[in-house]
Amino acid sequence: MPDALTVAARANHVLVGVLILAGLAFAAIGAAQNDTFYLRLATEALIFGGLALSVDILLGYTGLLSLGQALYFGLGAYLSALVLKAVPSFWLALAAGLGAGVVLGLVGGIIAIRVRGVYFALITFGLAQVVAKVVYNTRSLGASDGLLGVPIINIDLGLASVSSASPAGFFLVVLAVIIALYAVSAYILDTPFGRLLIALRANDRRVPFLGYRTASLRLSSFVFAAVIATVSGTLYPMLRGFVSPELLFFSTSGNAVITVLLGGVGTLMGALYGSVLLTVLRSLIGTWTEHHLMIIGLLFMGAVIFLPNGLMGLVRPAVERLLMRKARP
Amino acid sequence: MAEVLDYVQFVLAPQVVTGLAFGVAVILVAIGLTIIFGLLDVINMSHGEFYAFGAFAALALGWLGLPFWLLLILVPLAMLPVGYAVERMLIQRVFNRPDRHVTTLLLTFGLGLVLEDAFRLGFGPNPYRPDTPIPGAVELFGIFLPNYRLFLIVVGAVVIAAVALVVYRTRLGAMVRAAAFDRNMAASLGVPVAWVYAGAFAFGISLAGFAGVLLAPIYSVFPTMGRDFILMAFTVVIVGGMGSIAGAVVAGLFLTQVQAIAALYISPVWTDPIVFGIMVVMLMVRPQGLFGRLGHA
Repeated sequence: MPDALTVAARANHVLVGVLILAGLAFAAIGAAQNDTFYLRLATEALIFGGLALSVDILLGYTGLLSLGQALYFGLGAYLSALVLKAVPSFWLALAAGLGAGVVLGLVGGIIAIRVRGVYFALITFGLAQVVAKVVYNTRSLGASDGLLGVPIINIDLGLASVSSASPAGFFLVVLAVIIALYAVSAYILDTPFGRLLIALRANDRRVPFLGYRTASLRLSSFVFAAVIATVSGTLYPMLRGFVSPELLFFSTSGNAVITVLLGGVGTLMGALYGSVLLTVLRSLIGTWTEHHLMIIGLLFMGAVIFLPNGLMGLVRPAVERLLMRKARP
Repeated sequence: MAEVLDYVQFVLAPQVVTGLAFGVAVILVAIGLTIIFGLLDVINMSHGEFYAFGAFAALALGWLGLPFWLLLILVPLAMLPVGYAVERMLIQRVFNRPDRHVTTLLLTFGLGLVLEDAFRLGFGPNPYRPDTPIPGAVELFGIFLPNYRLFLIVVGAVVIAAVALVVYRTRLGAMVRAAAFDRNMAASLGVPVAWVYAGAFAFGISLAGFAGVLLAPIYSVFPTMGRDFILMAFTVVIVGGMGSIAGAVVAGLFLTQVQAIAALYISPVWTDPIVFGIMVVMLMVRPQGLFGRLGHA
């Protein structure tokens, strides 16, 4: 009889499989229809899904609400734009994002993990606000305009090469990167380290009595989440060809939190599904009213009150029941 | 020597007074936030939107021909039932969940989004600038001071003093402080805790609305006005100590003066990073803020 966490992890495997298949089918249909708009939209949904993933690692596993995760996403995007303008290499940009994620994650983490609960939410919020304003005022980073004119790059995949201008091709690359980020996160969170993070969320006063240092655990989880956000951010300028300071603003962080809540806190997969759901909702509502913020806000409030486990709270138990039925002969 | 005096008279002093007027309004908003946090343990992310609510309500009623003086009293009173309803119908729904901080923060964040879009729906995205109710300026020691800003400072200071008086010197205030210190003990001594909670929330919201009415003629009225303003109020609450009224006053005066002076000596665009930097450093070094919580000492 597998334990609840294992069943949940297996249910996630099924759900990620569904997402990959849906993504492949979507890319095939999009390419056949010669579509650009919807493929680009879906690519953006996946990129912001990566940001939501990092919020969920902190909120759903370690129990830390970050209101400033856009800080890492935005810095990743700016770094990637700078790298691409100098050297148009996909892998270099990704590697730079990875390195910067570790370094900046350590810096931000050392500042932020000193405090807990509501104070953590506010310190991440404050940090992101300081950096956003600094970037907004720095002329060499394009100030309020951001960095424009990021070149189209050819992504060298060994056997083939994909242009970032090709909607279907780039969509598949982003799908692969985001799924890889998900897989790495899911793997790490399934190790004893991941279980410790869950223990930290459940009761962070008891964990030290088991012989673990909560500070280093919290710091590792913060750096880990920062890396996921930065790497997701590096993909953004390849898609849009520019970065703007809005990527660092609170609205971006807030959106990621909404995404995680709608998708389901502590499910990882929920972050990606939530992002897709939110993007679909936004463009659907956008076709008949420009006041999508109100409807998203109402939905969000409804989710907080009535559906604390989000979309995954509805879908995953059904998948789990299916799996359990199969497990029992 | 004459240049120094001229500088003080024409540059520094007006900047300090402008900062003071802004500071008084920030303190009004921050006191509402801090009472709500000190008593309910709720971070009200929609507080800035209630500040905008007050400004829009004053704007709409002003179009109907109501005088400014009446609005200054009417709008905050009208917002009391709104705040009461929000507390009873929304916040209480998630209040007793284990992660109260996070859920209430998220719920009020959603409410803020809805309200902001509602203002845009009702009034459009463009800013309105109501006429200044008291035009003109007086000359004091050779310094020209706009009448309305002086009025704002005086009225704001009187309201802040009245709030402090009520909280620290009356029976009602004692009940509020008792409920903040120990909810169950206060309830068993006959304090109607549920009523105190909803009442405090309504009162906090109403103070934000009052600040909105006061500031509308200076900073214009537009849907996202609460967003920029609330960041400052949050910083004040954090630096002063969440739940401390004295802290909100001290930190409010200090930070708005820092902002006003930094705008003069460094650059207006760098005031935000400086103020938020102070907030981050404060959270690192002394997360409980300068002063203790409401009801605790």
